[in-house]
Amino acid sequence: MIALGVVVPVRSEPLPPTPGWQLVVGRCVPCHSLEIAVQQRQGPKGWAEIVDRMIKYGAPIPPEDRGRILEYLLLHFRDPDGA
Amino acid sequence: MRQPISPAISRRGFLVITGSAAAAAGLPKLASAQTAPPAAIPGKERLIVRSPRPINLEARLADLTSYHTPEGVFFVRNNYDLPAIDAAGWSVKVEGEVDQPLVLRLDDLRKLPAVAHDVTLECAGNGRSFHRPRASGIQWEHGAVGTARWKGVRLADVLAMARPRAGAAHVAFDGADKAPTPQAPDFVRSVPLWKAVEAHTMLAVEMNGQPIPQLHGGPVRVVVPGFVGSASIKWLERIAVRTEEFDGAFMARSYRAPRAEDDKETYSLQSLEVKSLVIGPADGARLPAGKVTVWGWAWSGEGELTGLDVSTDGGQTWKPGRFAGRWDRYSWRKWEYDWDAAAGAHVVMARATDSLGRIQPSTRARNPLGYRWNVIHSVKVDVA
Repeated sequence: MIALGVVVPVRSEPLPPTPGWQLVVGRCVPCHSLEIAVQQRQGPKGWAEIVDRMIKYGAPIPPEDRGRILEYLLLHFRDPDGA
Repeated sequence: MRQPISPAISRRGFLVITGSAAAAAGLPKLASAQTAPPAAIPGKERLIVRSPRPINLEARLADLTSYHTPEGVFFVRNNYDLPAIDAAGWSVKVEGEVDQPLVLRLDDLRKLPAVAHDVTLECAGNGRSFHRPRASGIQWEHGAVGTARWKGVRLADVLAMARPRAGAAHVAFDGADKAPTPQAPDFVRSVPLWKAVEAHTMLAVEMNGQPIPQLHGGPVRVVVPGFVGSASIKWLERIAVRTEEFDGAFMARSYRAPRAEDDKETYSLQSLEVKSLVIGPADGARLPAGKVTVWGWAWSGEGELTGLDVSTDGGQTWKPGRFAGRWDRYSWRKWEYDWDAAAGAHVVMARATDSLGRIQPSTRARNPLGYRWNVIHSVKVDVA
């Protein structure tokens, strides 16, 4: 049976199941697969620039979710040498 | 039944979210946990999936063994989803700084002189994954490059029909692909007029003897040889002749890099860098001692290749390789080097030079979007 509503091809490893993972899925995959996001490695400034550009481009990220999404991405996909 | 906290994900599979987890994600609640994995992209199973949506697929170096890259191992780069285009109904508008705006259909293109060129396309971000600190974008390694014989008509002949005005200086291309939201920028890029009218720049309808597949921009795409791949707009639907460089996001924000290491200013990318790859031996190969022909590909955008040097000692000493086989003005060239391999661990490297005075560097200054990676490629080999 095919999933209704949202059918998204995704990366082959699970997202780390820490708080916020559902937000990353729900707010990002309407436009692109998770691979786009999770292959990045950025520092705090880099991730903030990316997420803010996504919001500018129409990502369904309400202001109250921005911080938690950034925390999640920085926790799991951080470049230690990144700004 | 309690739902798993992590999404269950199968290789190339669908995200499975059910019940309360779905509600928590703000997604429709699903009746069943069962889904089927999507079919692999037909004909592209050998490529590395950098992302399924938008589709970005990278070639493995071991598959880049022939001068014309077969469709099955030709990389695919997209910023957005594929449009569906009916070839029979296709047309392109030519407008802007022209005395004769036009709408051309495939039959109109067929009346123009046919041209064919071997052209190597490379993504501007090829090699991005190697930048340190890390750069944002698709994390290509070496394989966002491929060569095809492209057949079509000269863009110059199309533009001549439209009669560009005296102030015309740039030509913008708009394809049928659309952003997923109204706020995201349309994928539109421009090239300077000198490049648009250069004899090799074309509107292509065939790739390696076949109508261009949908994934590669059919029925009609631009091919701007020697420029970064994003100039070669797919699913062409509009050509706008302009007095200024196009100023949308894909010219003004992305596809830009500094010219020199300490530059604060960036420029909109045009020519590809001078670059080469070692294809044989593969990284990590084990070889018997004795004679082996090391080989690979080299290319140089607007430059013409002037040499390809090879090192088998990690860059301490360099010897000239030779070019071999067919090539075209804007295609890659095969290079070869005969190596008498002695036992031990070796690092084999290739370094190309071109007529613009460029030489591949051993390091590349990082630029935030990860372009211009043409650092000397090295492979580790163990000789028994």
